[in-house]
Amino acid sequence: MIRDDQLRAAASTAAAVTAQVPRGAKVEVLARQGGWVQIKVSGQTGWVRMLSVRTTDTAQRDVGGELAGVIGMGTRQADTGRVVSVAGVRGLNEQDLKAARFNAQELERLDRYVVSRDEAQSFAREGGLAARSLDYLPAPAQANRQSSPWGEPQW
Amino acid sequence: MVKSAFIVALALSAFGITAQASSAERALRDLLLSRQPAQAQDSKPTSQGKPAPSTVATPPQQTPQAQPKRRPRTADLLGGLLSFVAEPPQTLEEERNIGRTVAGSLLGAAPLVHDDQLQRYVNLVGRWVALQSERPDLEWRFGVIDSEDINAFAIPGGYIFVTRGLYRRLNSEAELAGVLGHEIGHVIRKHHLRMMQQSRALADLGAVVGKRMEGGSAFARNFMGNFWEALARGLDKDAEYEADRIGMVLAARAGYDAYGLPAVLQEIGRVSASDSRVAFLFKTHPHPDDRFAMLSEAVGSRLDNLPEGKDLTARFYRIH
Repeated sequence: MIRDDQLRAAASTAAAVTAQVPRGAKVEVLARQGGWVQIKVSGQTGWVRMLSVRTTDTAQRDVGGELAGVIGMGTRQADTGRVVSVAGVRGLNEQDLKAARFNAQELERLDRYVVSRDEAQSFAREGGLAARSLDYLPAPAQANRQSSPWGEPQW
Repeated sequence: MVKSAFIVALALSAFGITAQASSAERALRDLLLSRQPAQAQDSKPTSQGKPAPSTVATPPQQTPQAQPKRRPRTADLLGGLLSFVAEPPQTLEEERNIGRTVAGSLLGAAPLVHDDQLQRYVNLVGRWVALQSERPDLEWRFGVIDSEDINAFAIPGGYIFVTRGLYRRLNSEAELAGVLGHEIGHVIRKHHLRMMQQSRALADLGAVVGKRMEGGSAFARNFMGNFWEALARGLDKDAEYEADRIGMVLAARAGYDAYGLPAVLQEIGRVSASDSRVAFLFKTHPHPDDRFAMLSEAVGSRLDNLPEGKDLTARFYRIH
């Protein structure tokens, strides 16, 4: 859990609260439904907000973090943008991008797929999608931020 | 100090993203000019004691490789200064002009995947999501490019590209909508134009104004080199977090499950940072876990009453 949340009997704030799940608790994720995930914690099953649970493997991330630091050091100094690449796989890093030649033909091809407002609207209708109003989300307060475990990026 | 000012500028842009700077923005620039102009990309609060740069005559040619790591570059200082004086090229035609040049260059690095149905599909989803934004009638174009890297690109003027490597990791139309919504967020907030203002590409940007830029010209190639160099340094982290919040909201407005984007962040957060396919993404963005945590923070209980949207997994166009 990356924040405190309440365990509920169903995927809705209208559902009964069955327990409190504190930040840092290890939980097992069983399913997701929209903004909710079904979890199992200390033998109890229920629902919490999807954004309250980090499902990535922290152990793997920590290892990755160190490696990212090493790569980052290299790219910030002499090897700008250079990364280890797998043979035969087309990468897309700074060097590749800077070396690229303008491709007018592909740009024209891209133009052929352009979708009009009407086409987009009927595509939405076919999928049963209806537009709804929702305000943009404000930025969370600076003080609440957690910084990255390996510090601020240096670039 | 200047970094926080940049954030203020971004926040201001939320209220007036149209062509002309508001008087408040101009006042902000005046205020900044009365203080020290520092470069914006890697400014830290500790830069306060440094003297203001006294020279603007240093040639713009620079070799980043030769520079000490933490020294602000004169060209950046100059860019930081000018960005608060000169108006960026903000007419629609100029933005479009830059967009076509950059998009053509990106397509030179990685062409479109040869799958008409796929390309048409991402344009349908993308245009529908973009219609929920403040710039619904930009000439939006979406493409899946042939690269195994896991990344997506937003280019001024409304060009959005997703790599095949990222597209393949998506599981539903709602996830695609969230990813495209993030990139649309960069375009509608003009994050890259602002980035260029703050880097040495500004001088080039000035030269673009009122000119048609031929894609293959030496001038355009030079411009592109500077653009990608600035891009490789990454946008301000707050621009990325803002685009994440916009991505969720635009997907939700379009009727999709709002949680497609955080689901994708979880998915790419599982890719090891040592995997070369995410090297450029991780270099230019905060870690997916941090982006997820920031969304968690921003959303809180705000979307509790939002009716669940559709994920349209069945309609999602899958590739191999």
